[in-house]
Amino acid sequence: MASRRRCLQALALTRQAASFALNNPSSLSFPNPHLSSNLSPTLLPIFTQSLSRSLPQWHHPRFFSSSGKEEDRAIKNDGEAEEDEDEDDYDDDDEVDYESESGEDESGLRSGGKRVYTAEEKEAVAASIGYKVVGPLTKDDDVFKPYEPVFAVVQIGSHQFKVSNGDAIFTERLKFCEVNDKLTLNKVLLVGSPSQTIIGRPIVPDAAVHAVVEEHALDAKVLIFKKKRRKSYRRTKGHRQELTKLRITDIQGIEKPENVLVSKPSKAAKKELEKVAATA
Amino acid sequence: MALRGVWQLKKLIVSYCDWGGSSRGIRAFMESELPVFKENNPQLEVITELIRGQHPHLKAFYKNKNERVICVKNMDPEDVLHHATRLRSALGRKVIKLRTRHVTKRPSVQGTWSTALPF
Repeated sequence: MASRRRCLQALALTRQAASFALNNPSSLSFPNPHLSSNLSPTLLPIFTQSLSRSLPQWHHPRFFSSSGKEEDRAIKNDGEAEEDEDEDDYDDDDEVDYESESGEDESGLRSGGKRVYTAEEKEAVAASIGYKVVGPLTKDDDVFKPYEPVFAVVQIGSHQFKVSNGDAIFTERLKFCEVNDKLTLNKVLLVGSPSQTIIGRPIVPDAAVHAVVEEHALDAKVLIFKKKRRKSYRRTKGHRQELTKLRITDIQGIEKPENVLVSKPSKAAKKELEKVAATA
Repeated sequence: MALRGVWQLKKLIVSYCDWGGSSRGIRAFMESELPVFKENNPQLEVITELIRGQHPHLKAFYKNKNERVICVKNMDPEDVLHHATRLRSALGRKVIKLRTRHVTKRPSVQGTWSTALPF
């Protein structure tokens, strides 16, 4: 079923692209973002070859089962069936390969509807989407250091945060990590200290930001209310976003200044002096 | 649910009824998944309480003296486990709309920018 649907999608897309190509024969620019989002990389190069060979013709009716579409194609397909056979065999092989590759990496949908990831898939998804790598849980680790005057701009998913030691950040729910897990956020766009700033192009390659997962919780409920007046249309929907709170513990990749802030002891000393003066 | 490494959920009370049909899920949860949940969270004090004639619920007591109650009537054991995990993973803070997604006490490292600063 999935393979037939993919055939239909691919062929529908190729029809669109063929129409586009017919209209603008000079400006054939691949990869089309609309196409590339649906097709796997293995299908793309084949797709370009087939189109270059068969610009003026539509696709072979072999893939389609409905009669209406076959009639259309039968009318437009006047001969030229020799090249079609080669294309179709080529397409079939690559579609089969795509299915087998996806079967090996991902276990697909289980009965409960929850997708089960293998360890490699988890790392890949975490690294690509969330830009984080999960480390082990904290056990007697002294991770929570006092404040250091160093900041970094880190990207998680599509959100960027300017982050320093000891900050808390609310992000979208991060999969594959439990509470009290250590994370490494490796998409760091900028690192700065009072004396130095390192700007990444677009990432700073050797910088890393360490964080600890504090909580996985739901946001407050927002009510989504839709109404069209005078049309008897009213809908109310409640939504609670799943968030993860991260506590930033360490920023690496820049020289940290070693002067500790000495303001507090001086204030305490001043208070003591005042008390002594008051009693005396 | 760990503020600087310290778990925030102190006690979880699993209340159920041995007669009612709405407690079927939680009774199955107590047989199948509760021991595993207890082992995974040794810091947590889990108590099972029998309340006859009432619907079952989970009561969570946090370190900031907040209590959260989730009614688990007519739920599957997996759903009850999901809610229990959610309670364990949450801090006890009041559920209000977030003001900012970035909470910090030292907003500036290189000095706050103003229009009077020379570039």
